[in-house]
Amino acid sequence: MTTLEQLFGGRTAMVVDDVVGPSRAAEVRGRLARTGYTRYALLDRGSYELLADPQEPALLAALTEIAARMTGRALAVAEARALRLGPGDYLLAHHDRLHEDHPVELTLDLSPASVPGAELHYRRRGQVYFRVPCVPGSLAIVERGPTVSCNHTYVSKRNPVARIVRLMLLLRDR
Amino acid sequence: MWQLGPGWDDEAQLARAWRAAQPFPYLVFDDFVAGARLPELLAMLEEEPVQRYEGDIFVFEASAPEPTTPELRELRASFASVLAPALSRITGHPLRRADMRAYAYRAGHYLLPHSDHQDDLGRVIAYVYYLPSPEPPAGGELELFACRAEHGELVATDSARLIEPAPNRLVVFEVSPLSLHQVREVLGGLRISLAGWFYP
Repeated sequence: MTTLEQLFGGRTAMVVDDVVGPSRAAEVRGRLARTGYTRYALLDRGSYELLADPQEPALLAALTEIAARMTGRALAVAEARALRLGPGDYLLAHHDRLHEDHPVELTLDLSPASVPGAELHYRRRGQVYFRVPCVPGSLAIVERGPTVSCNHTYVSKRNPVARIVRLMLLLRDR
Repeated sequence: MWQLGPGWDDEAQLARAWRAAQPFPYLVFDDFVAGARLPELLAMLEEEPVQRYEGDIFVFEASAPEPTTPELRELRASFASVLAPALSRITGHPLRRADMRAYAYRAGHYLLPHSDHQDDLGRVIAYVYYLPSPEPPAGGELELFACRAEHGELVATDSARLIEPAPNRLVVFEVSPLSLHQVREVLGGLRISLAGWFYP
């Protein structure tokens, strides 16, 4: 049986590899770091570093164009943020915001190296339906729905040099 | 199996320690089970199956919420019958029953900060009893947080206590919206425990 949520809820969920190369990722990562992150530490919700409203207009425009092509929608950036996670960090699903409409969420992985097990999990009514592994340079494109939430999995302390950088955009119809 | 040792004799002192504990009421009892009985206890758990559980705040192995073997059911029943009366007197909370699951945290397993509190579940006191491990764990500490709430939302969460998962140690703590705690990631070895909650 097909539910209405499956028909009209979160639709596109895909990863496009090699959207940015290592050198451009390093440049962006450096600019974000120089701008400065702020640590978020309400630990019942998350532990990570946040940079709100990163000033990367050219990159954001390029990512939006890719998302528009992949989803067939005319999209514009509604929100942007950069997140940096290290060993022991995480964002829980109940820290995520539900959206009544169907925005498109993009996650560009700017991490310096792949971190096995450090994933984004998209959930529908709590159940994971899409996993985004940490693959530097890749872009996750997910059309969200009212029952879709997202969490960033715990980063193991057994990898003391793990560093995950995610540039996240929320796109809405123009 | 469960018998209260001399550490439980002075209930007035335990009640004072409970009330004074920070960041929220808790007690730690070492050498909880008489050493000679530990092999018998471990043998009672041998047949209880565990499986992997994974959510956004946890990865661990555990037995099912309802025990599958008569041995674990018996352990659960006798645990409640021995401890509930004493803990009722010490904590001031009327307690009658307890649930019990067996947990195995291996390297990379964790339980992120949470309070255990849910209005409809009736959990009053949480407990964890650390079993002797064939591979003593690195990490896996119980961490308690000092929290501040405004309008029902936590606005500050600061680490306040670390309790090592020492073998044959029982920890009990009060469940409330402010009883934020976590099991730190196990970095190596195996952390095995029995844990659950007491209810009215």
